[in-house]
Amino acid sequence: MRRTYLGEFEEIVLLMVAILNGEAYGVTVSQEIEQHTGRLVTFGTVHNTLIRLEEKGFVTSDLGGATAERGGRRKRLFSVTALGSRALQDIQQVRSQLWQLMPPNALKVSGI
Amino acid sequence: MNPAKQNNPNHADKQPPRWAERLLAWLHPAETLEEVQGDLDELYTYWYKRAGEPQASLRYVLNVVSVLPPFVLHRQSQKNQYPQPSSFHPSMLRNYLKIAIRTLWRSKGYAAINVVGLSVAFCVCTFLFLMVYRQLTFDSFHQDGDRIFQVYRFLNEPEKADRSGSMPMPLTPALKADYPEIAAATRLLTGGSLIEYKGKYVDKNISYTDADFLQVFSFPMLKGNRTMALRDLSNLVISESTAKAVFGNEDPIGKALLLGNEGSQKQYIVSGVVADAPDNSSVRYDVIARIENTPTYRNSRDQWDAFSHNVYVKVAPNVDQATLENRLKPFAQTYLSGDLEKLKKQGAKPDERGDLVAIRLQKLANVHFDRDISGSGAPIAVVYALLGIAFFILLIACINFINLSIARSFTRAREVGVRKSLGALKKQLFVQIWSESALICLVGFLIGSLMAYLLIPVFNAQFNAKISLASLLRPGVIGGILAMFLLVTLAAGGYPSWQMAKFNAVDVLKGKITMKRPGFLRNSLIVTQFTISCLLTCCTIFALQQVGYLRSRPLGFEKEQVISIPVGNKYSGRQLIQRLRNKLTNDPTVLGISGSGVNLGRGKDGSTSRSMLGFTYKEKEISTDWLLVDYDYLKTLNIQLLAGREFNPAYPADSLDRVIITESMARQIGEKNPVGKFFQTDTAGTKYQIIGLIPDYHLYSLQQEKKPITMHLSHSEPISYIFVRVTPQSLNTSMGKLRGIWGEIAPGAEFTGSFLDENIDAWYRNEDSMAQVFSFASGIAILLSCLGLFAVALMAIEQRTKEIGVRKVLGASIPGIVLLLSRDFVKLVLIALAIATPLTWFLMNQWLAEYPYRIDISIWVFVLVGGAAVLIALATVSFHSIKAALVNPVKSLRSE
Repeated sequence: MRRTYLGEFEEIVLLMVAILNGEAYGVTVSQEIEQHTGRLVTFGTVHNTLIRLEEKGFVTSDLGGATAERGGRRKRLFSVTALGSRALQDIQQVRSQLWQLMPPNALKVSGI
Repeated sequence: MNPAKQNNPNHADKQPPRWAERLLAWLHPAETLEEVQGDLDELYTYWYKRAGEPQASLRYVLNVVSVLPPFVLHRQSQKNQYPQPSSFHPSMLRNYLKIAIRTLWRSKGYAAINVVGLSVAFCVCTFLFLMVYRQLTFDSFHQDGDRIFQVYRFLNEPEKADRSGSMPMPLTPALKADYPEIAAATRLLTGGSLIEYKGKYVDKNISYTDADFLQVFSFPMLKGNRTMALRDLSNLVISESTAKAVFGNEDPIGKALLLGNEGSQKQYIVSGVVADAPDNSSVRYDVIARIENTPTYRNSRDQWDAFSHNVYVKVAPNVDQATLENRLKPFAQTYLSGDLEKLKKQGAKPDERGDLVAIRLQKLANVHFDRDISGSGAPIAVVYALLGIAFFILLIACINFINLSIARSFTRAREVGVRKSLGALKKQLFVQIWSESALICLVGFLIGSLMAYLLIPVFNAQFNAKISLASLLRPGVIGGILAMFLLVTLAAGGYPSWQMAKFNAVDVLKGKITMKRPGFLRNSLIVTQFTISCLLTCCTIFALQQVGYLRSRPLGFEKEQVISIPVGNKYSGRQLIQRLRNKLTNDPTVLGISGSGVNLGRGKDGSTSRSMLGFTYKEKEISTDWLLVDYDYLKTLNIQLLAGREFNPAYPADSLDRVIITESMARQIGEKNPVGKFFQTDTAGTKYQIIGLIPDYHLYSLQQEKKPITMHLSHSEPISYIFVRVTPQSLNTSMGKLRGIWGEIAPGAEFTGSFLDENIDAWYRNEDSMAQVFSFASGIAILLSCLGLFAVALMAIEQRTKEIGVRKVLGASIPGIVLLLSRDFVKLVLIALAIATPLTWFLMNQWLAEYPYRIDISIWVFVLVGGAAVLIALATVSFHSIKAALVNPVKSLRSE
């Protein structure tokens, strides 16, 4: 299978969707990113990334879960597709393989 | 995990800035607006809780901006949920085709009307287009054609500016000497002559030109050298067809030919063969010789006041016409000083360019349409009128198509509704319906092309047109025809398809969309159609009336029972007339024999000539036709003398200095009793005595105003035509008899005699064929309009079947229903008439203004045409409305 390129931010958003496990939508994803990475991201960035991920087929979405808090408006809930989870696992696997190849002292900065 | 969910909305009164909310609602893409609004609201509450109002509002605004275009991405709606097969999927196409064939089959009648209408329109348009194409491409084949001009004289005479292509002999050499920007210039004087080669005689036109002729015009040289061919005075260049006629298969180069009439023959050497002039050339030739060889050249070489021939010039590249014309001003004033003096004496004023007398240039491309200077084509206005008619006919066919498609679209509305509910997109529906229209157009177009191909000979024969299939197959023409087809398909098929694709599926399936009210569009299209038809019809009737009027106007002489015989070049006319008189003197069927220098009407030789004379009489400028006649001219043509006597051989002086004048000539010289008076044409010249006075008669066609005529008998001019009047009883046999006698008295010369009344008819051949084309076109236009009205009426009435049933049940009478159904359409025709009448009146006034003798525009024609149009429309519509009114209401109300 041709591996679709996944950008760094896209990877983070995809991971968040996986972590939130069925509760992922614009608000939760951006709050989690803020909490866990300390990055301040605009809502537009998250929104666009989610749309792009869906276009690439890594996530699917459904409308639902209207609450009074959001003026009775529905939210778009995202979940990871099989393709998305495969992509995340592939990345993880490649990374751990690479870490294994790392010589024990390679990251120790000399002189400290 | 979700803070927004954990906190109940006790901050409901805390709202984000209203303007930012509105901005979001206004600019954010509609597909994702709901979720984004919700998300941002939630986030606002979250920020508000964590950091307070100002911070939350600031972040809200920033985040709103981040989801506004151009930053935000558009969500493709449900892109992957249902796979969308391509519109051009084979099974889809098969379905479209099947549906198309079924609908066409179910509505054979409409399809047939559409195909017939379109094919007829295409066919007629092709003909008219080719006619126009031929006219507009006249003289377009020359290399550097935009640098070739005909020189003309402009005289701003007090009554009317006069333009003439006739030039004096010394003009061309002077032009070439004085103006370096004139690269090449040639005179062109055409005259008939006899060619003799080894005892073989051929009658041909000789074009006397300068050596530059082949430089100015790029007629292809088949043999010989272009620059050298006319270098020598005794050189001769002949056309391909002449070469064939004279030499057959021999090589003509270097052969000696004898040219000229018996007694004045001159020998020439053929030095070149040039291809025949194409059919669309104004300049035509059989034999080209140097102009210095003309018999009168020696005399006229330095005469600036004898105008005899046309002059063509080719200017150097990058020479501007207006600049050159300005530079020619002093030239005209120097050399045409005679004209200048005369005009000044008459009190003429300079025109807007400040010229009384000028030498100007006409582009070669325009020469064909410029009848003043030498053109022989239909006036350019007529050419554009033809183009307009072609366009109108096509428009009428398109309107039919649109009207029928729109009317029919309502019967197909259900199909559109079902297709839409099954997921068809607007685009797909449009393409499907439009391609059905395109299919009909294509069939119509193919049949039309086939008809055009088959009918070209018929059209040519009927309308005296010279269009050919060859010009149909040129890339430009094919491109034009294809463009026409595309345009029609787009215009006629596109609009109804777009209308149909727009139907709301729910409304259609509920049956809400019906055609109870006829659309404004449909009505205006019908009005347009009938306006055009009425316009064309009225114009045709006026044109026919005008031609009939020109024909029936008394000419002043009796044109019946007179045979006119062109003398030709082999024998002298005077000699032949003498022989003819000797032969026929005791024949009881011959009433009179005479001759003249000018033919009446247009005979088989097709030539006309005019010689005018101007002189001063009692300090008045006199201008008159100077007509050579022979004895018995008045007797032969049955012109009654008002006073005096006719020429008589018993008076020897008659052939020297006696003249007969017409009434208008007498008026011009201001003599009540002119018989016996004398006048002199120039101070040292002959003193002419007037011996007879006759009424005015038309020596030339009625398109030209009749001028005063002076008849003379001078032996110095040749007789070119012989007139023979025969008795009515011998009319049928006399032509054959004359042909026999001609063979005896003029052996070897061709007999091209014809009846004078036929010749006179030929004067109006142009108007005649114009009128014919117009009648043809307006007939087609009316037919197509009625065809369309017929179908639209049928459709409209079909949709009102139930209404008619209900009305009948409630007691409506049959005439009442017919009236109800027909009223709408008749109203449209009346509106069309109201538009067409002033338009026609204006156009016809313009056209008739060109004729000195013309009909009055009669209001009755409009009444007649209007009545006929209403009647035809009524008849067309009543065919259906009566049928609908007669139907038993039980039948129409039964279903449902």
